[in-house]
Amino acid sequence: MEPPNNLFELPDSTDWLSTPLSNLAPLDSALRCQVCKDFFDTPVITSCSHTFCSLCIRRCLSAEGKCPTCRGNDQVMKLRRNWGVQEVVDAFVAARPTVLELARRVTAGDQDRMEGEESGEGPVKKKRKVDAPETVDGEGVGEERNGRQTRSRNKRVDMPVPTAEVIEDSQDEEYVPEDGLVACPICNRRMKNEAVFQHLDTCTGSHTPSKQASFGSLQPMSRTANSKPDHPPERLPAINYSIEKDGSLRKKLQNLGIPDWGPKPLLQRRHTEWVNLWNANCDSEKPKSKRELLRELDIWERTQGGSASMFSAGSSNTVMKKDFDKAAWSTSNDDEYKRLIANARKGNQKFVRSADTLPESQSASLSNKPERTANLEQSAERPVTQDVQKPGELPADALRINGVDREAHQSQEITNSQTLDTPSG
Amino acid sequence: MQEHLPPGITIVKSENLEEWLMDIRVLDNNPLYQNEVYRLKFTFSSKYPIEPPEVQFIQCPATSETPRPIPIHPHIYSNGIICLDLLSSAGWSPVQTVESVCMSIQSMLTANTRNERPQGDNEFVSYNRRRPRDINFFYDDDNV
Repeated sequence: MEPPNNLFELPDSTDWLSTPLSNLAPLDSALRCQVCKDFFDTPVITSCSHTFCSLCIRRCLSAEGKCPTCRGNDQVMKLRRNWGVQEVVDAFVAARPTVLELARRVTAGDQDRMEGEESGEGPVKKKRKVDAPETVDGEGVGEERNGRQTRSRNKRVDMPVPTAEVIEDSQDEEYVPEDGLVACPICNRRMKNEAVFQHLDTCTGSHTPSKQASFGSLQPMSRTANSKPDHPPERLPAINYSIEKDGSLRKKLQNLGIPDWGPKPLLQRRHTEWVNLWNANCDSEKPKSKRELLRELDIWERTQGGSASMFSAGSSNTVMKKDFDKAAWSTSNDDEYKRLIANARKGNQKFVRSADTLPESQSASLSNKPERTANLEQSAERPVTQDVQKPGELPADALRINGVDREAHQSQEITNSQTLDTPSG
Repeated sequence: MQEHLPPGITIVKSENLEEWLMDIRVLDNNPLYQNEVYRLKFTFSSKYPIEPPEVQFIQCPATSETPRPIPIHPHIYSNGIICLDLLSSAGWSPVQTVESVCMSIQSMLTANTRNERPQGDNEFVSYNRRRPRDINFFYDDDNV
């Protein structure tokens, strides 16, 4: 989504096509979001059973309320997390570099051998390529693969070590008999250090764990078991912007702890983006801090929001006008502008003659774009003052205000979505 | 991606994420487009892929090394602007890609039998100073 530093280092499903494992390309591509073309990040499933990154589909639905794949109507409220896909993606992404490297080496080794031998005919070459992964075991490439396996076996052998450390940590807080044994972190039964890992595979956890601490520290290893955080961050409700006054919307942005400068359309877009970022983060298995989300909102602000360009900031509802051709517009309206400027000058002279005491309203009416000038001034000032107000305690503070504010809106949100439901259904 | 594009589609320029140039040609033997290569310019906004890219044909003079005419088509104006539903905000879907757009335009050309420009081409080309995305087309013709 964000421009990468190096376009050519992006992993892509076509990476596989030049290797003997070209049939992994469809798998690679199936594990990617069709919107951002990257591997699924916090995948969610729509009511029409299409899977996207949580943030991607939220942005799509807030833009037009349709599933990007089948164009069926859908709502953010109907999205459900897709843990299964997340696990598959994580596993694939973890294995991908090794497998790809191996596949590429096989290809390279294959070519070397082809050069060494007298080159065979096309079909034969092809066949060998396909067979390569299965038949290389006894050959040079196979050795490398074995080396890799040993390494991964090493990793597995290493794993009990952190487990042992965890239990040592807990000794501080609880009496542990000095019998040279360690406790299973799940059922708490004591056994030899070497036996723990094997036991873990079959442990049913029937002896309930006495200590949360040791259980919690195991989370990275058994992430499916208990991956939900104790206090999941609460989702933000959508706002029906049409019934919202300028000021009250600004106030809501303030309460959320996000920048509140700019005209109402910009406030709307910023709020939408914030709700999308926030709620997608709520879906995430490893939620980011609010500080991080604010940084992401700032990136949005600079690329698509109020700091992006004057024109996109002003006109948000009219999708078609966004990247409006300034030069063409000023050429085609040149006469009109000249006329207006001339009128304004005349008026100005009159005013100056009649009353010198109206400089402010005067200059405002003179400048062609009074609102925009005002926005720019605000954009320069507001964020700074806000930073001064809440330097450190921003997250907690804003969260608390949120919680209060949200309850007030909850009922409103439901009625809004209901009214939205009726015409479409 | 470069090496694995569908037949008839090649990347000319894709150095940045704002503007890409693609060459396309029609694969079957439709006499209207035989032996010609056409150049498409993709302009991406910061909101891509939520919003559609701007796509139009651009012309390279017949005398240049790579002559690129504007294909004749009842939905392609002689200034290269394409009237195609999927390039409008309403018809666009974020799952579309440069590749899929090129393929759609390929098939739009392939399927055409009419050797003509859109109605009002002359007026449109002479008065239009707007960019394609600002134009409200009427998608009145579902046949082509």
